[in-house]
Amino acid sequence: MIEKKQQITNKLGLHARAAAKLSHLANMFSADIYLIYNDDKVNAKSLLGILTLAASVGNEITLQAAGSDEQEAIRAIGELFDRKFDEES
Amino acid sequence: MPKEAKGIQLGQLPGLSQLKIIRVFNEKWLDNQVNHPRPQRPGLGLTGYLNHIQEGRIQIFGRTEAGYLRSLKDAERGRCLKNYFALKLPGIIVSESITPEPDWIAAAGRYATPILVSELHTAPLISRLSAFLYQYFARKIKMNGVLMDIMGQGVLLTGASGIGKSETALELVNKGYQLIADDVTEFYLDSNDDLVGRANEIIKNLMEVRGLGIINIHDIFGSAAVLDEKTLDLVINLEKWDPKKKYDRLGEDNLYFKILGLEVPLINLPVGPGRNLSTIIEVAVRNFVAKKSGRKTYLELRSAPAPSLPAANETAATEPGSEVS
Repeated sequence: MIEKKQQITNKLGLHARAAAKLSHLANMFSADIYLIYNDDKVNAKSLLGILTLAASVGNEITLQAAGSDEQEAIRAIGELFDRKFDEES
Repeated sequence: MPKEAKGIQLGQLPGLSQLKIIRVFNEKWLDNQVNHPRPQRPGLGLTGYLNHIQEGRIQIFGRTEAGYLRSLKDAERGRCLKNYFALKLPGIIVSESITPEPDWIAAAGRYATPILVSELHTAPLISRLSAFLYQYFARKIKMNGVLMDIMGQGVLLTGASGIGKSETALELVNKGYQLIADDVTEFYLDSNDDLVGRANEIIKNLMEVRGLGIINIHDIFGSAAVLDEKTLDLVINLEKWDPKKKYDRLGEDNLYFKILGLEVPLINLPVGPGRNLSTIIEVAVRNFVAKKSGRKTYLELRSAPAPSLPAANETAATEPGSEVS
């Protein structure tokens, strides 16, 4: 199992569209992937789960992955956060 | 990960507005911390026996406490109130619109204790307050799964992402059952030690169905298709059909799923082509209800197989009127 701290940098935070992109990406991996924020842990493959975090810009969340492709999963998801979910150019 | 709630300010108490508070004395101390889920009636605490009066617990004064204090001589009452309020209690709620005497308010004020007056009778006041406090202080946990009310039973559908939990739940809603929460259900232990599940406010009434997106069940199916919360009775875990795995063939397995220290009955349901999940789940719940009431079909089968039909001559011998010969 690996973990990575991740800053939310896009203006809108983990709103519906960003959450949809995130869960879509997470579903491409077989590893179990979780987002942890404020003592809350949700499945990154669940769009509604991500929405319940109500995490916004400037917050730091923890990505956690366990499984054969955990490295790739954390890297790809981290990049999506860093790219600000392709929302801002 | 279960969470323990920390203390809360008296003035911020959820449900305070439903306690029919009509007056507040020593208002500036409404920020006192409450950190116990049960309110307390002081009873003997007012006579000087203070061993079980715990700090952090809201105190309730009813007719007994008020009557007792009023029956005391001034000096005696002063001493009682001083010893009692010196415990730095978070707050007093007086029931039945009883007006606190000026010297109670003054004694409470010296030790930063607010006094609230409620219109409610003592028993309903305590039960309402306890319900709010319990929900606030309850241990809570988020579970991945869809919580539904199926024939009055709270059923949590769990299973790996993409196995079809939401689609199955949608079919069940279409059949007339109620959705409580899709995908993420929050559970807390209520004052009866029941596990109660509800949806996070943000995703209440919502369901995600791949291909349709996020839909609002309340808007599509109406208010009869959703429920705010439900006690959990049964967990049904959907899993990929694995030919090597042994599934319950007789219906005699008694599996349990542990949530917050409680054991909830569990059924593992393999998902395979040609299995109509919503119907199987419906029947599983009916069977669960029957089992709860003591009906065990597999036990009735376990007795020796019925003897084959008796030979023809024996049959004749027992037939009514056969002795006529």
